[in-house]
Amino acid sequence: MKRTSNLVAAAVASTLLGLAACETTPDSSALLEQARTAVAQAESDPNVTKYAPTELDRARKLLANAEGSAKENGAKDTSASHYAYLTTQMARIAQQRAQEQASITRIKSGETERKEVLLTARENEANAAVAQAQAAKADAQSAQAQAQSAQAESQRLAALLEDMQASQTSRGIVLTLDDVLFDTGKAKLKPGAERSIEQIASFLSENPERRVQVEGFTDSQGTDDYNLELSQSRADAVAMAIIQRGIDAQRVRALGYGEGFPVAGNESDGSRQLNRRVEIIVSNGDSAIPARAAGVP
Amino acid sequence: MITVSGIRNAFWCAIAFGIVACASAPPPVEKLAVAKSSIERAEQAQAAQFAQIELNSARNKYAAAQAAADKHDADVAARLADQADIDAQLAESTARAKQQEQLVNEMDASLRDLRNETLRRDTSGTATPPPAPQPQ
Repeated sequence: MKRTSNLVAAAVASTLLGLAACETTPDSSALLEQARTAVAQAESDPNVTKYAPTELDRARKLLANAEGSAKENGAKDTSASHYAYLTTQMARIAQQRAQEQASITRIKSGETERKEVLLTARENEANAAVAQAQAAKADAQSAQAQAQSAQAESQRLAALLEDMQASQTSRGIVLTLDDVLFDTGKAKLKPGAERSIEQIASFLSENPERRVQVEGFTDSQGTDDYNLELSQSRADAVAMAIIQRGIDAQRVRALGYGEGFPVAGNESDGSRQLNRRVEIIVSNGDSAIPARAAGVP
Repeated sequence: MITVSGIRNAFWCAIAFGIVACASAPPPVEKLAVAKSSIERAEQAQAAQFAQIELNSARNKYAAAQAAADKHDADVAARLADQADIDAQLAESTARAKQQEQLVNEMDASLRDLRNETLRRDTSGTATPPPAPQPQ
């Protein structure tokens, strides 16, 4: 009985001594709990399952070892604590390696992104340059078109002037219709006037900014009143013919000057015929036609 | 009721047990070498800067493992060497992860600058300013 108790005491003492010689043994249950948490955390990290499956596997095996040791040898077991510690660290390693790989992948995609941004910027610049060039070309074309239409207009005007024996004066373009277009003493236009009226009307409709002044004149035969009235009537007839061809009445003005402003002497039939006339003055652009002053054609 | 012979018995028993428990295995030379090379790898990965706590833990445990081995505590030395090894591995992976994270942050900043730059250029529509130097 005494011997047995001695032996038990010796065994307990030796055990304590032996353990003290090695290390102090903490309770493994706290370390095990820590290890389980670390593994669960790593498992829930999608980067870990993607980039560090080997490390995660190692952590799981270490955890199994720790749990096995604790089950077999109790919570105070040294290897249970040891494996629990290794488990926790391995789970952390798995997370760090996964994070590193995720960063490397992110950097690679960032490189691609950077190239795309640069490419887009370059394309935008190129597009802007093309758009600018096209705009410049369009400008040039419209300028050319304008020049062409201006040239065409001046050509048409020149043709008209030549056709109607018109002359450019400071008041505008002056076209002269002679008395052949009217019967003697009458203010009705003869059919022969059609062509000249047509030309003037179409010129005015193509140049909507221009206006005309129709001026009537007679020779010195007959009374002043009669001549004044006749010249006015003839000017009115020509103006009406122009308006009837679609020109706004606001742009057409008719004036009778009677025997005033003769272009020749009234001594002979020939010179009197020159004085019997209707002049049509076409404005320069949209400017008003200046009044006729004595001595100025 | 403890006799002198009982104490003597217990003493011898303890000595025997201690020897069996601690010095039964040869010193873990291989494990120590593995831990040492892991620490060196961690140092090369700039763990001293980016994972100081883990690296220090590995170094301390390695020193303790060597001390235990010198005292012929093979089991303790083996465990400490294993722990030094895994601490060093964690130090290395933490350092690498942190450095990559830094690179990601730098890249994000440079991408943001680049976007702002090109956006400004697009909206202003005027002559392009010289491109900002891109951080590597």
